[in-house]
Amino acid sequence: MRWHRLNAIARKEVIQIRRDIRSLLLIVAMPLLLMVAFGYGVSFDIKHIPVFVYDREGSQQSQDLLKHFQASEYFRVVQSVTSYSEVVEALDAGWCRVAVVIPSDFSEKLKTAEPVGVQALVDATDNNTANVSVGYSEAVIQSYNRKLQLEWLQSHGQITLQPAVSVDARTWFNEDLESTANIVPGVVAIVMAVIGSFLTSLTIAREWERGTMEQLVSTPVTPLEVMIGKLVPYFVIGLFDTALCAGIGIWWFHVPFRGQWSVFVFSSTLFLTVVLSLGYLISVVAKSQLAASQAALIATFLPAFLLSGFIYPIDQMPAVIQLITHLIPARYFMTISRDVFLKGTSIDLIFDELLALAIFAFLLTFLATRAFHKKLS
Amino acid sequence: MPVRIRAMLIKEFIQVFRDKRSRFLLFGPPVIQMLVFGYAATLEIRHVPTAIIDFDNSQASRDLISRFAASPYFDVRARLNDRRQAGDLIDRGEVIIALQINSGFAQNLYKGQLAHLQAIVDSSNSNSALIAVGYVNQIANRFSENYKTERVQRTAPLMLAQLPRVVLERRPWYNTDLDSQWFFVPGVIGNLVLVMVVTLTAFAVVREREIGTLEQIMVTPIGRWEFILGKTVPFFLIGLLDTVFISLVGTLWFGVPFRGSIGVLALGAVLFILCMLGIGLFISTISATQQQAMVSGFFFTMPAIVFSGFGTPISSMPEVFQWFTYLDPLRYFLDVLRGVYLKGIGLDVLWPQMAAMGVFGFVMLTISVVRFQKSLD
Amino acid sequence: MSNQSPSVAVQELVKRFGDFVAVDRISFEARPGEVIGFLGPNGAGKSTTIRMLCGLLRPTEGKAWVAGIDVAREPERVRQRIGYMSQKFSLYNDLRVIENIQFFAALYRIPASQLRERVTWVLEMAGLTGRESALTGTLPAGWKQRLALGCAVLHRPSILFLDEPTSGVDPVSRRHFWELIHQMAAEGVTVLVSTHYMDEAEYCHRLVLIFQGRIVASGSPLELKRRELSGDVVLVECDNLGLALDLLQKHPSVQDTAVFANALHLVVSEAAADMAPLRTYLSTRGVVVTKMEPIRPTLEDVFVSLTANQGRSGKE
Repeated sequence: MRWHRLNAIARKEVIQIRRDIRSLLLIVAMPLLLMVAFGYGVSFDIKHIPVFVYDREGSQQSQDLLKHFQASEYFRVVQSVTSYSEVVEALDAGWCRVAVVIPSDFSEKLKTAEPVGVQALVDATDNNTANVSVGYSEAVIQSYNRKLQLEWLQSHGQITLQPAVSVDARTWFNEDLESTANIVPGVVAIVMAVIGSFLTSLTIAREWERGTMEQLVSTPVTPLEVMIGKLVPYFVIGLFDTALCAGIGIWWFHVPFRGQWSVFVFSSTLFLTVVLSLGYLISVVAKSQLAASQAALIATFLPAFLLSGFIYPIDQMPAVIQLITHLIPARYFMTISRDVFLKGTSIDLIFDELLALAIFAFLLTFLATRAFHKKLS
Repeated sequence: MPVRIRAMLIKEFIQVFRDKRSRFLLFGPPVIQMLVFGYAATLEIRHVPTAIIDFDNSQASRDLISRFAASPYFDVRARLNDRRQAGDLIDRGEVIIALQINSGFAQNLYKGQLAHLQAIVDSSNSNSALIAVGYVNQIANRFSENYKTERVQRTAPLMLAQLPRVVLERRPWYNTDLDSQWFFVPGVIGNLVLVMVVTLTAFAVVREREIGTLEQIMVTPIGRWEFILGKTVPFFLIGLLDTVFISLVGTLWFGVPFRGSIGVLALGAVLFILCMLGIGLFISTISATQQQAMVSGFFFTMPAIVFSGFGTPISSMPEVFQWFTYLDPLRYFLDVLRGVYLKGIGLDVLWPQMAAMGVFGFVMLTISVVRFQKSLD
Repeated sequence: MSNQSPSVAVQELVKRFGDFVAVDRISFEARPGEVIGFLGPNGAGKSTTIRMLCGLLRPTEGKAWVAGIDVAREPERVRQRIGYMSQKFSLYNDLRVIENIQFFAALYRIPASQLRERVTWVLEMAGLTGRESALTGTLPAGWKQRLALGCAVLHRPSILFLDEPTSGVDPVSRRHFWELIHQMAAEGVTVLVSTHYMDEAEYCHRLVLIFQGRIVASGSPLELKRRELSGDVVLVECDNLGLALDLLQKHPSVQDTAVFANALHLVVSEAAADMAPLRTYLSTRGVVVTKMEPIRPTLEDVFVSLTANQGRSGKE
């Protein structure tokens, strides 16, 4: 490897990147965009679920129950309707996710101690939100029951003992159960995967498409030199973006950073090497820029988004898919990033993940240079 | 058909379908993504790895624990008698939740006092943590209800029959089994059509600009409209074809029901694809290179997907961002897709969404066409 | 069109990109059947001028009429009358030869009755008969170039703009290419061609020398050589070129020097009188002169001398 040739290629790449100011700006703005989009757009703290109520009785007692719904921060009672068809319409049109229907004999049955059924019609197209809504509705009903029974027992001169199990949840690492604390370290991984592969996937494909590659390989430059020279500028951009992401996460979204910076920097460097060489491999193999960008989407962004445990928990996937996730580099970095941010894990606990990334880095570099050789001959 | 438009169309189709690889690019990636998404995207939480620390070791505590062991939501992986061990397991990520019952649990219950169940939760994945804590609460609540009922039955069996009680009747509509594939599959169709049509359209024009063929076309007497139609009609058709393809995968492979009318879905797809053509064309007017087009495209597609309500409900987003979602055509198309697939609703409900997409598409296409100049500066 | 009315007329044309003046007040005219060469180094403004004449770029100032039509005002009307070939190969590499031809034929709306004749003509001209179904990207550069020319003249334009059409093409193909151009000119087509090959410039009826966005001289090759060079050109071959160049530049009777391959060209006021003293001047200073003789000036001599003068006057 010759330093001056490497330097020349890197410098050429930097000039091309710099000349395209707009792309450069966009690349820098990318972490910002992803942070805002995921930080605000993805929220698992399901609150303010829009609710329609249909009170067929309209008594003091039925209104009392509805007040319990109103008081809950999980529900937002949007409208009270007076016919069943309006309920159907609201659910169909998506104006509400839950419709609470109170029967016309509500207070009657309560008096005669018959169990009263209150219907919760739930729009279950979004099964997760539906599930959570049902859970919250149940909690509302139970607290109403407790109050009702307590009153009843007291009025009948009975013991007012309420034996109950109270759950004291201690949430470790992310005490307030904030989505952002979970999302932000994940976005770091996503941004790196995107920068690394999306952008680099085009660098070589572009040179083939424009015919400048023939010129380049006719010089005594070696494939490894081409690769490193082309990747170094993107590596720097990637590191910068990583730092930007971490900064926004810590200072804007107030996500705690509990680990060691050295561990974070080291593993980011390793992961960047992996995604850059993957992007490079794609760009060598792909015939056109369009093909390269599509392949990069399938090979890097999509798995980083779907199969890394970023949003969808891996242990809930079918066994085959779980096996596949072991081949996704982003999976390992996702674990590292979250552990370092939230758990403050020391390096020995993430040794396996680091090792996996190192193997990927080595393997992909090898494959990329070999593919390059093959393409030339 | 006018000669020039026909020539443009023939040329585009020859280029798109010439070799195997580019034919594959049109239909392969969407189908692969559909399959991965269908299996990987689930927010359900089952089999949460759990550790148990029982310091009470009473009938009551064992009863409570057996409820957790029997639940499909928890997998009891370890029974410990040291709290530190539990902390260790959580640190290593081997269990997500540790349940601790302190001594005196049964006694407190008997005395009618609060008995504490401590749950230590790894909340670095806030979604799983939230849902898991919800299930812990549910199980604990049912346990206390039972305990209470049994107590009352033993002390005053007559009383029990007279206690007023409200029961929640859950009625999940549209997706009775709360199947997450039913939720995600229609959404994925929208995402894929968005990404495909925007990138294909943007790349198609920018590629010609980059290679230099655009210049050659511009000096011919071809009209602006002829060129634009020639460039967009193929991707309109490909977008439609892709919609059909992935919809078939969704229905035939994943077994998602199709309850509405094909006509309504087709109308929605046509309007949505027009919106995406407008976006793609717009990106092509502001991009000189394919790399620029890709990065700019990413800046549209990413927020469009996140803020469409694709994965998490719009009502959980901060209010400012909720307003923002009204500018997102995908939001409307998802309403159409889920409405037609799962709810079986028609134009009488979906006309506002259709109108919104129509307006968006018209405005976007107009802007793009006006911006599209037959000149190089 | 009568022989008197110009097919291309340019008046004080200016194109600025930001602060950079690419074309600076260019004026010239071209008549039917004329082959006009734009000569100048890369970046002189040749391509920008041609692109403005095709209506691809809007002039910042000045006027241009092509086939009597104001290009800036009605670019669309101009386009049916012109053919254009850019320096970069700009046909579709992923289309077959015949598909490219048919595509451009349709864009120019060539009537079905003429289509077959035109296609055959292009194939013959480009020497591609029998290779209609080859993928264009697989053709050698010279053939591609002729195919591009064929596609540019499918609709028999009366004016042809060629922007460095022969860059990267072998000499035999280049000669063949120029024969084609002269054929078309003979049929009355006006050809504007830009080049930086000096030998090609000799093929043109008239030359326009462009340097740093300005026209520095124009005329037929012969006129230019006669007018722009005030003296004779002497060729010098010797053992130490560098030293000889240094020495000769200092000599008072040498007006200009330039290196051509392994020899020097000098411009002196009168070859017969100046040669002998120069030979002694060099040999006394340790340069062994193997050859020194008067030669006919080439366009390159003219060009070097003109741009050198420009450079000097620019500094003053």
